Amino acid sequence: MIPLSWYLIFSAALFCIGLFGALARKNAVAILMGIELMLNAVNVNLIAFWHYHAQVRSGPYVHGLAFTTIVFVVAAAEVAVGLALIISAYRRRQTAVVDELTLLKG
Amino acid sequence: MDWIYNHLLSLILFTPTAAALVMLLLPKEKTALLRNFAFAASLIPFALTLVVWAGFNPQAGQALPFQFVEKANWYSAIRASYHLGVDGISLPMVLLTTLLTPLAILASYSIQERVKSYMILFLLLETGMLGVFLALDLLLFFVFWEVGLVPMYFLIAQWGSKNRNYAALKFVLYTMGGSLGLLLAIQLMGVAVGSFDLLELYQRWPTLTELKIPLGLSLPTVKAIAFWAFVVAFAIKVPVWPFHTWLPDAHTEAPTAGSMILAGVLLKLGAYGFLRLVLPLFPTESQMYAGALAFLGVAAIIFGALGAWAQNDFKRLIAYSSINHMGFVVLGIAAAAALLETTSPAGMLDKNIALNGAVLQMFNHGLSAAGMFFLVGVLYDRAHTRDLNDFGGLYALLPVYGTVLIFTAMASLGLPGLNGFVSEFLVVRGAWPVMTLATALAMIGLFFTGAYILKALKMVLHGPLNTRWKDHLSDMTGRELLVISPLMILMLALGVWPAWLLDMINRAVAFLF
Amino acid sequence: MAVETLIVLIPLLPLLAFFAIVLFAHRKNSLSHWLALGGAGMSWVLSMVVFWQAIQIEDLSQHPFAVAIQWLPTGSTGLNIGLQIDPLSAVTLFFVAWTVLMIFIYSVGYHNFGQPRGDHDRPGLPPHGATITDQHGHTHRVPSIEPMYARFFALISLFAFAMFLLVVTDNLLTLYIGWEIMGLCSYLLIGFWYGKESARNAMIKAFLTTRVGDVFMLLGLAALYSLTGTLNYQSILNNPTVLNGLAQAASPLGGVSWAGLIGVLLIIGTIGKSAQFPLHIWLPDAMEGPTPVSAMIHAATMVSAGVYLVIRFFPLLSVGWDGHQLTLPVLVMGAVGAFTALFAATIALAQNDIKRVLAYSTISQLGYMIAALGVGAYVAAAFHLITHAFFKALLFLGSGSVIHGMEHGVLHTGENIDPQNMLYMGGLRRKMPITFWTFLAGGLALSGFPLVTAGFWSKDEILAGAYASGQMLIFWTLALAALLTAFYTMRQITLTFLGNPRSQSAEHAHESRPAMTYPLVVLSFFAIAAGWVGIPDYFPLIGGIVPNWFEEFVGSMLLFHAEETHHSLLPLFTSLVVALGGLSLGWLTYRAVRQPLDPLEKPLGGLYTLLKNKYYVDEFYQLVFIRPARWLAETVTDRWLDRTVIDGILHSIARLGIWLGNVLRKWFDLPVVNGAGDLTATGTRNFGAFLRSLQTGRVQVYATIGLGAAAMVAILIYFLWVVG
Repeated sequence: MIPLSWYLIFSAALFCIGLFGALARKNAVAILMGIELMLNAVNVNLIAFWHYHAQVRSGPYVHGLAFTTIVFVVAAAEVAVGLALIISAYRRRQTAVVDELTLLKG
Repeated sequence: MDWIYNHLLSLILFTPTAAALVMLLLPKEKTALLRNFAFAASLIPFALTLVVWAGFNPQAGQALPFQFVEKANWYSAIRASYHLGVDGISLPMVLLTTLLTPLAILASYSIQERVKSYMILFLLLETGMLGVFLALDLLLFFVFWEVGLVPMYFLIAQWGSKNRNYAALKFVLYTMGGSLGLLLAIQLMGVAVGSFDLLELYQRWPTLTELKIPLGLSLPTVKAIAFWAFVVAFAIKVPVWPFHTWLPDAHTEAPTAGSMILAGVLLKLGAYGFLRLVLPLFPTESQMYAGALAFLGVAAIIFGALGAWAQNDFKRLIAYSSINHMGFVVLGIAAAAALLETTSPAGMLDKNIALNGAVLQMFNHGLSAAGMFFLVGVLYDRAHTRDLNDFGGLYALLPVYGTVLIFTAMASLGLPGLNGFVSEFLVVRGAWPVMTLATALAMIGLFFTGAYILKALKMVLHGPLNTRWKDHLSDMTGRELLVISPLMILMLALGVWPAWLLDMINRAVAFLF
Repeated sequence: MAVETLIVLIPLLPLLAFFAIVLFAHRKNSLSHWLALGGAGMSWVLSMVVFWQAIQIEDLSQHPFAVAIQWLPTGSTGLNIGLQIDPLSAVTLFFVAWTVLMIFIYSVGYHNFGQPRGDHDRPGLPPHGATITDQHGHTHRVPSIEPMYARFFALISLFAFAMFLLVVTDNLLTLYIGWEIMGLCSYLLIGFWYGKESARNAMIKAFLTTRVGDVFMLLGLAALYSLTGTLNYQSILNNPTVLNGLAQAASPLGGVSWAGLIGVLLIIGTIGKSAQFPLHIWLPDAMEGPTPVSAMIHAATMVSAGVYLVIRFFPLLSVGWDGHQLTLPVLVMGAVGAFTALFAATIALAQNDIKRVLAYSTISQLGYMIAALGVGAYVAAAFHLITHAFFKALLFLGSGSVIHGMEHGVLHTGENIDPQNMLYMGGLRRKMPITFWTFLAGGLALSGFPLVTAGFWSKDEILAGAYASGQMLIFWTLALAALLTAFYTMRQITLTFLGNPRSQSAEHAHESRPAMTYPLVVLSFFAIAAGWVGIPDYFPLIGGIVPNWFEEFVGSMLLFHAEETHHSLLPLFTSLVVALGGLSLGWLTYRAVRQPLDPLEKPLGGLYTLLKNKYYVDEFYQLVFIRPARWLAETVTDRWLDRTVIDGILHSIARLGIWLGNVLRKWFDLPVVNGAGDLTATGTRNFGAFLRSLQTGRVQVYATIGLGAAAMVAILIYFLWVVG
């Protein structure tokens, strides 16, 4: 059996990649992808902890699965709305680079 | 109807304010409408005053000193009330005010700019002045005393001539400066007696034995300070020499109607303050300082006349004449003050005559000074100069104006047969036994009164015609004659038969003092 | 109608005429003079009726016709004013009514009624004459009508009102009212031709000079009213208790009784009004007015009013005087009157203006009357007042007629001479016979030509009174003045009417119109006949033939009569000598004048210059009173006191306020209050500016910062709790 720490290390690495993508990339789509990565890193964590926890307590708990499912739904909705916004912005401004979308900047 | 009759004084007092509020709603381009409305509105208080005059019973005396009284709670916490009433001293002043205001408004028909605000200010001014004459409550008196200042300030500062800002500021600051002491003294008296009601103060303030306020001063000292606070406030308004220098400036710069009211009514507020407040409230102090007051009055008579004689500005000359004439009011008051507690029949008579003269002189000066200022204005409207050296020989061009001017100037000079003489004679007669030297010195002023009036007449009407006016001046219009003729009729009526007014004054004075 | 009603109407009618002319007839010449004449004429009729009634009553002085009403309510009583006729006012009314009516009629002619309007005439200047073309095509210069014709009649009507009021009143206050209204009228009438600079100076001079007297008189009024509680003649002058009380009460002036002080104050009023030295200067200048005005002021009305006042108040003025110890008022009257009589007579010697000579002679004659009161000759003073009014009105109107004739000549010839200068006249008796004979009657009356003229009788009585009182200084002064009077009168008559014309204009002068000459005739009758009612009983030969009605009638006014003194013939002799001597000397000196040059000018030298310049009194007053007064007004009061001192103090207070405000602003407001506020504001702003640099608007930056912050917090937590 793969120990829990491996999952956690994997998930942390995934989160860091996602965080880097979200913070460093200029393209809005790439930022969105970074965010998705971070969400999924969290999902991995959740599943890992659930699985570990269920084995220890040996009960039919589904909390972790439910959480993960909600995160999936939220992520999907986020992608749907986010991509729609980005496409809309791209159509108007011919760019998806966030530095150039400064309409609200004071 | 009963309600109206019972609240006549309030109606007189606030009709002008109500009219001013209504005028706010009128369109400001329709100058004719505004003028006529203001004129018509100002006639209402006059008509009501005549009703009061008809209903006033001068014989009531002791039983009913103040009539048409209205009283209502105002600031119950400090026991100040809305208390109005008239007696034989204030009623002539009210009549003078309500008479002069319509005439002044009629004289202002030549005002072209910002007619609306001008007329509104004028109506508010009337309320302020009437309030002082009608109030029987010290706090109310003070409120109206200050209210009258504001419209006058704007009238001078907005519609005045060249140096108007200086004059308006001087006028307001000077009067306000005097009012400070007045306000403090009023507060002091109100707190000490526990009421601001004048009738109550008449009873209790002069006989006050101890002061409950910890001032660290003895009661006589406090009373003397309060007395001087009152005197200075009123002396500035009268104005008594040496507090007079605001007056020539204010008069010279004010618009014609403003000068009419200023000389006709506002100056009377000060003298009225002496009669209504200073003498009854401070009998001991008045008697003590009567000599000083007489000295100031005589100084006003002499220096007013000399100052007038020195002027070359027609309006300024007339302004100085006001100082000269009001000096006689002060002299009469001073003589009465010296006799305030006398019991001898001769002394009572002297006091009575002096006060009769003082009150009548107030009324008379109101007529003649307003008339003179109006006539200066008539000339100024045409020639746009007031410098006496620019005129000369105008009698040939303006015969009607010349005759009217001579008539009014003679009333101002105190020619027997016209009003000014009667009051001056009464003052001289009343003051002579008490203040013989002061009265004799006042004759110097009376002589120079002749000198400056004749100087003005000479430089305006007589002599060779200054050709620059040929074909440029037109004689008085019907409207202008309408303004001056009521004044002239009253001047003649008072000169020939003064008893109709003097009788009322006499009874009030005999009761009050 | 009751006599009392008539008395009220006497002053009222001219007043109504005045108002009617001012209001309705100021552009209608004919209507205006008819109104004025109507008023004066009806007053004249009423006056004659009243006079007639009055002289038939025995004790009129004790029970005069009187009406009164309360005028000024004072305290519980009041001051009454009213009208009354007693012997003194009756005789005054008589001469006033006559002279006033004559002057009114004369004025119609004098102001050229019926003549065409002038070519260049303007209101305010005398008419210059008109050019007319007759049917033959010749043009003539003729006199033109006065441009302010209606105004003239309005003003003299008012003048007549004031004089009638003054005469018929029963108290000092109403007298003062009439007195002052006359002052106004004289002011306006002297300056009737106000376009002339000299006229407008004269009008002011007249008003102000008399006002000096008036203000003193007003004090006298106040004092009298204070002490007696009334101003009524009967209650004061007919009441020995009041008079003695006043004589015994001490006034604030040391050593003088109240009666003395009041008396002097009233006399100063008279000195102003009747142009006595030292207030005489206005009267000669008052000649700037039209001639009827001169007659009105100098004969019938205003100057007479002054003397009327002192005659009226003689009981008060003389109280305490028993004929020996002089009291102050009596002394003042005697001294001022006698001095003025002589002083003015000397000036008259050197005047060439026909009206000015008469003006000085008026001053001199008024001095006579006042001196008469100073020696106790009460009746004589009143008598002379009346006769003088008649003959002086006559002389003035006559001189007006002469001037008119001369002006006609000047218009005709176009000569550039003064039509009033006597040196250019001469020989006018042939051109103007009526004027000459009437003027002669007046002139002889003025000089006191014995027996036939009124002036002789009144002047003789004054001299007799002065002699009888024992004050020989006054007697001889008056006698000398009488000599000079006769001399300058003869000089005037000789220069004007006798000899040959000394100018073209005088040759072309002609007689005035009937409207002017008829009044002269009427007045000359009185100038001669008015004296016959007062011929003293002791007069040699004719004394007692005609009863001395005047003495009896007017003398009843006095409560105390001076005891009859021994009559000497010396005064009579003196008056004969001075009158006849003066007249002959005058004729001898001036009969041969050929050139417009006074024959006395060379021999008298400096004295003549002094007289011609009226002793330089005007210049003296200018220097001593008028200039200092102007300096006092313009420099001291206006510039120093008001503008520099009082306004200076005010402006200093204002400046102090501004300075204080500035100091507070600079040292407190700006550094402390504003400083603290500003510091808060700038601090906040700087901090904000700093923070602003962080706020790029990029979510990624924020997130990076957030990551950093979270890392910091994590490190902090780790070191604080986990490690620690």
